[in-house]
Amino acid sequence: MEVSEPVLLILLSLAEQPRHGYAILQDTERMSEGHVRLSTGTLYGALARLLDEKWIERIKEQDSSRGKQTYRLTAAGRRNLQMEVARLKHLTRVAAPRVARKET
Amino acid sequence: MLALYRVLLHLYPAPYRCEFGDEMMGVLLEVQAENQRKGAFAMLASGVHESGGLLYGAMREHFYSITGSYDNGTFSFKRRFAMRSEFRFPKATVGLMVVILAAVMLAIEKARAISMSIPHANPPVGPIRPEQFAIVQVLVAILIWAIASGAIGWGILFALRRSGIQQLSEMNPAAGQRSGK
Repeated sequence: MEVSEPVLLILLSLAEQPRHGYAILQDTERMSEGHVRLSTGTLYGALARLLDEKWIERIKEQDSSRGKQTYRLTAAGRRNLQMEVARLKHLTRVAAPRVARKET
Repeated sequence: MLALYRVLLHLYPAPYRCEFGDEMMGVLLEVQAENQRKGAFAMLASGVHESGGLLYGAMREHFYSITGSYDNGTFSFKRRFAMRSEFRFPKATVGLMVVILAAVMLAIEKARAISMSIPHANPPVGPIRPEQFAIVQVLVAILIWAIASGAIGWGILFALRRSGIQQLSEMNPAAGQRSGK
């Protein structure tokens, strides 16, 4: 499964700690410095796919009175996220000297 | 605005709505409460943003529930997010295609053998006159055939979806939830 920027941000948000939907929305916006503002429809579309792929799972919380569900990364999800981050690190390492090269 | 969100949520497929509907409504309530504090413009912008997201999401889920795939470029997640699809052709299709191909090749070989056994059965064909071209009729026939094939294919997918076979295959009895997509 390939990971888009919104999905990467969702995974990074859950990598820090388990969160419910609204907290994920706030955290992704904060992480992207306001550049990525997920709509609720987009967020839950991504969560549904990630649940199906077993990259994330629901956990029982005490405060589930308002139908809030809390999500957390699974071991497989964390492993895949680490691979994606490593891929991005490699890409930035390769990209940095190239974009820094001055035009002649 | 919340009434509009409720209407838009009803556009989602029923299984998806059952699983995520209440939760999504809770998040939309929190988003609205936050934007109320920011002012009228933030409320309006958020309303447009969320409504668009819900509409797009509903279309995407319906597309998925019919085809079993998001990977068509239109309903896939933005950039580099291709999910694995569980929608596959039956294995029998491959066998059937092999049988059809073998039958076609056999027919060609038989025809060639018959042609060789009767040396002067096929006189040379003279120049083809323009009135002998039947391109329009052929194109119309191909178009009708393509439309009919598409309609039959769509009908089969729709019937499968309506009959719940696909949803049943996605159920995980242990968890009581959808499993693979």
